[in-house]
Amino acid sequence: MNLIESLLTGLDEARRHWGQTLLSLLGLILGTASIVTVLALFGGQTALTEQFLSEVGGRGTIIVSDREPSAHPGARELASKRLTFHDAQYLRDRATSLTAVSPGWAQQLSYRVGNTSFTGQVIGTVPAYMAINDIKPLVGRYLSDLDVQHEARVAVLGWKYADSLYGRATAALGQIVSIGEKSYRVVGVLEREEFYFAAWENNALEYRNERAYIPISTAITQYSATDHLDFLTLKARPAIGGAGAQEQVRSLLFARHGVEDFDIRSSGQGAGQQAGQFLLLFNFIFLVVGVVSLVTGGIVIANILLASVVERVREFGTRMALGATAGGIFAHVLAEVLVVTLIGGLLGLGLGAGLTGIVAKVMQMPAVVSPFIATVSLTTAVSVGLVAGLFPALRASRLAPVEALRYA
Amino acid sequence: MTALIEARDLAKTYRLGQVDVQALRGVDAEVAAGEFIAITGPSGSGKSTLMHILGCLDSPTSGSYRLDGEDVGTLSGKRLAHVRNRKVGFVFQTFNLMPRLTVEENVALPLKYRGGVPRATRRARALTLLERLGLADRVGHRPDELSGGERQRVAIARALVGEPAILMADEPTGNLDSQAGSEVLKTFAELHAAGHTIVLVTHDPGVAARAQRVIQMSDGRVV
Repeated sequence: MNLIESLLTGLDEARRHWGQTLLSLLGLILGTASIVTVLALFGGQTALTEQFLSEVGGRGTIIVSDREPSAHPGARELASKRLTFHDAQYLRDRATSLTAVSPGWAQQLSYRVGNTSFTGQVIGTVPAYMAINDIKPLVGRYLSDLDVQHEARVAVLGWKYADSLYGRATAALGQIVSIGEKSYRVVGVLEREEFYFAAWENNALEYRNERAYIPISTAITQYSATDHLDFLTLKARPAIGGAGAQEQVRSLLFARHGVEDFDIRSSGQGAGQQAGQFLLLFNFIFLVVGVVSLVTGGIVIANILLASVVERVREFGTRMALGATAGGIFAHVLAEVLVVTLIGGLLGLGLGAGLTGIVAKVMQMPAVVSPFIATVSLTTAVSVGLVAGLFPALRASRLAPVEALRYA
Repeated sequence: MTALIEARDLAKTYRLGQVDVQALRGVDAEVAAGEFIAITGPSGSGKSTLMHILGCLDSPTSGSYRLDGEDVGTLSGKRLAHVRNRKVGFVFQTFNLMPRLTVEENVALPLKYRGGVPRATRRARALTLLERLGLADRVGHRPDELSGGERQRVAIARALVGEPAILMADEPTGNLDSQAGSEVLKTFAELHAAGHTIVLVTHDPGVAARAQRVIQMSDGRVV
């Protein structure tokens, strides 16, 4: 009898008593289900993070800002003018890895319309900023090159500010708003931006709804009168990618400043991480549960198999008397284990898919059981079964026929 | 007649904890083709050990053993499995049928272990034997649906399916009532009449009396 025939015999006989074996597979089923769920949720979360990054301008969006001055600054640091308008022009000319450079100015100023007033963020910038950050006007327009050239007193309002100042976002268009005690005409109101990492999380993009954009030239002449910038928003050439572009920008700026008094990061880096914290913990718990149940499942399977081998020692003895070889018995036991763990793995996969669906629905999170996840979890289940079944199979095949027949 | 079994000075010593138990103390045995032999003796006399060695289920501590012209004392485990499959048919006291297989599958099992026998052939030979033993209407049943006598006849069919040189039975009537027992013994008598070589182990003098020749054992020796 060859190996394949042994496997077929084992398979055939596992089929006949799989009902009783199924119970022993509970650990394996639960373990597989947990792993499937973790991977599906993790996959969903990764997709969500990707989506968030593309919402805030895609992976290639880079933000450069001043670094906190050191406690005991050296001569070079003191000599550095920090981020300036000239840096922006310099990068536009030299940074081949970038497709767009947008200088940025930011300050907290008071907003006032009639009796309503509050303090909030004002961003001074250029038209390129809109393209880089994928901003869309709900009504009106965004800032134009002409606005920047003429230091025009125009503002584009975020949805939330337009809504709170005028009662209705669209009503703001064409109105006058006082920002930092200066009057601006509202030429556009932006679409409301929303992104939720989970149902219980706050709008991760709400900060974008709570600001106004004015031409950077206007901002500098009206409020600061220096060419100092608060940040630069850059767009990396897709072929080069964010990391490569960051390196080039770092070396160019270092050459100009003589000291690294700036920070470079990807857009959305902070926000995405923060929102993902809870999910990370959640996934970790699931993963631990999954691994523990798989290990327990493996031990239970090994135990049950050992017990069933003991019960079946006389059967194996009989088989040997009829001409089964040690290898044949080994293959027979292993084949039963394989079939049974595969069934357990498939049931676990089904349960995991169901669990994923429920968790995704209850927690409002995207999660998909992909073919990759199915393959990984099934392979894991079968591997656990193989390892667990190896010892019982070896034990059964090592018995001498007469010992096996006499086994009580 | 040629000697099918030729055993010289067989000895078997078991180690039970710290004590050595001498189950066989120098046994010679010879069985010719077509003989019907009963090995008998009180329990502990070594009769089962002798049959296990003659059936290649166990190997002697010393002595030589030739089965059907082949020196089996020197064979590897795999070759021994092969010999058991081709030359020996076993019938056990407790039938030892596979509970999850049908009667027909049970009977065909030795041919499955032989390898290279097509499924249709296995099936045909199992059916022929079951018919011969009067079990034609039981082929699709499971062992637990049969009476003890029927089970033992299924086991005999299984022992015969590989056309072995010798049929070995260890207390084949031990778990049967007297009527079923005598039916099984009648089957053995018929098989013997048809030319089969049979070695039967029993402690029952009545059963031993059915055999052509009796090997009487006591304290690991033939008396």
